Amino acid sequence: MRIRFLNVLAAAAVSATLVAAALVVTGGPAVAADPVEQVKAREALMKKMGGGMKVIGQFVKGEGGTQEEVQKAAAAIAEVSANDVAAVFPQGTAQGVGDSHAKPELWAQWSKTQQLWSDVRPAAAKLVDAAKAGDKAQVAQAMQATGKTCANCHEEFRIKKQ
Amino acid sequence: MRAAPLRVLRMRVLRIAAALLPLALWAGGGARAAAPAPPTSVPADPASSDPVARGAYVFQAAGCYGCHTDEKGGGKPLAGGRALKTPFGTFFTPNITPDPQTGIGRWSDADFIRAFREGVRPDGAALFPAFPYTSYTRMTDQDLRDLKAYLFAQAPVSQPNTPHDLRAPFGWRFLLPVWQAMHLDEGPRPADPSRPAEWNRGRYLTEALGHCGECHTPRNALGAMELSRAYAGTPDGPEGDKVPNLTPAKEMADWSLGDIETFLEIGMLPDGDFAGGSMAEVVRNSTSRLTKADRRAIAVYLKSLPPAQ
Repeated sequence: MRIRFLNVLAAAAVSATLVAAALVVTGGPAVAADPVEQVKAREALMKKMGGGMKVIGQFVKGEGGTQEEVQKAAAAIAEVSANDVAAVFPQGTAQGVGDSHAKPELWAQWSKTQQLWSDVRPAAAKLVDAAKAGDKAQVAQAMQATGKTCANCHEEFRIKKQ
Repeated sequence: MRAAPLRVLRMRVLRIAAALLPLALWAGGGARAAAPAPPTSVPADPASSDPVARGAYVFQAAGCYGCHTDEKGGGKPLAGGRALKTPFGTFFTPNITPDPQTGIGRWSDADFIRAFREGVRPDGAALFPAFPYTSYTRMTDQDLRDLKAYLFAQAPVSQPNTPHDLRAPFGWRFLLPVWQAMHLDEGPRPADPSRPAEWNRGRYLTEALGHCGECHTPRNALGAMELSRAYAGTPDGPEGDKVPNLTPAKEMADWSLGDIETFLEIGMLPDGDFAGGSMAEVVRNSTSRLTKADRRAIAVYLKSLPPAQ
């Protein structure tokens, strides 16, 4: 009796684990996928990076921004860049969905997209280092390198902003 | 509504056309290219004693590479063949390598200067203003000679030009002299002595080499730039694309000199966003390669423009 009970318990546990695993694999019904919401989430991420670049840009241009603000800005950019590309650009969120400015080619040329997105991370890491050092020339250089990774992807895959 | 990919393709083609084709009634967006500009045989240096190095700088400032290279089709640098689809038909850019048969290898200095200044081929026929000679006409003889020296130092590519495929009456080359008589104001401008040298340099870079007005100035019904509204931008580019106003009237009213310089250097807008599409290409191949002083000069000039709507 006791053994049978344990078996049932074990089976239940296995089932629960499988269900949980399935949920993880599919992304789970809880976070499912309203494409319009996904576009909004992406836009928020992009705005976060842009906001960081703005602060760093002001610092480099000599128009304001303390070293502490620059560090915070660089950290925000690095944080966004650590997101998985497939989470930032889920299928079904091209131009036409919500306010999306992403060209369909972004998904058609997925390996290129992966490359372009993965370029951001090391550049942002250098930006974080430069911000820590607080040297303006170093920050300027790292900002330029990071900006290049932004521009490369926008040039390739973003439709013109209206 | 067409299927999305087709629509996007059309849009891209139209954007390319818009950026490259002064005849177009609309403007906006433009060329896309993924690879970097061609390696220059010598580093670009506007102050060099070597005409090829100076010409490399002119080549970048004037943005020749994008139109004259069919990157997407795997074409060789400067061998032309890039298709520019427009409402007037399809233009195919010509080979500007020094190949004597299919390129410009037989052009004399005088031929070269005349093409830029007067929009005329060595055989005397008029060039279509898809080649933006209404802007390049302001280039100095010195810059044109240097540019030719640079181009003639590049590898020749034997690749015959593809004939344009234009609709009547736009393909009627014999009508072009009429258009030119109406819209081509030939020759460099004398320096304005009431302005600093920096401003005059900025005007030259913006107007002649950068040919910025080709996209950023609205066009009249005959496809010519409406010079009374220079750099006012246009809301009705292809598929609703919007080309920004460069005067201190609208989008850029609050931009500092530093904002403009940073934008030209790395493509970053004051809000931290990065330009995409055609302007990203312009930044990558052209404005990022200018000297700091030249970017500053452009900024000074743009800030001095009368606000235009």
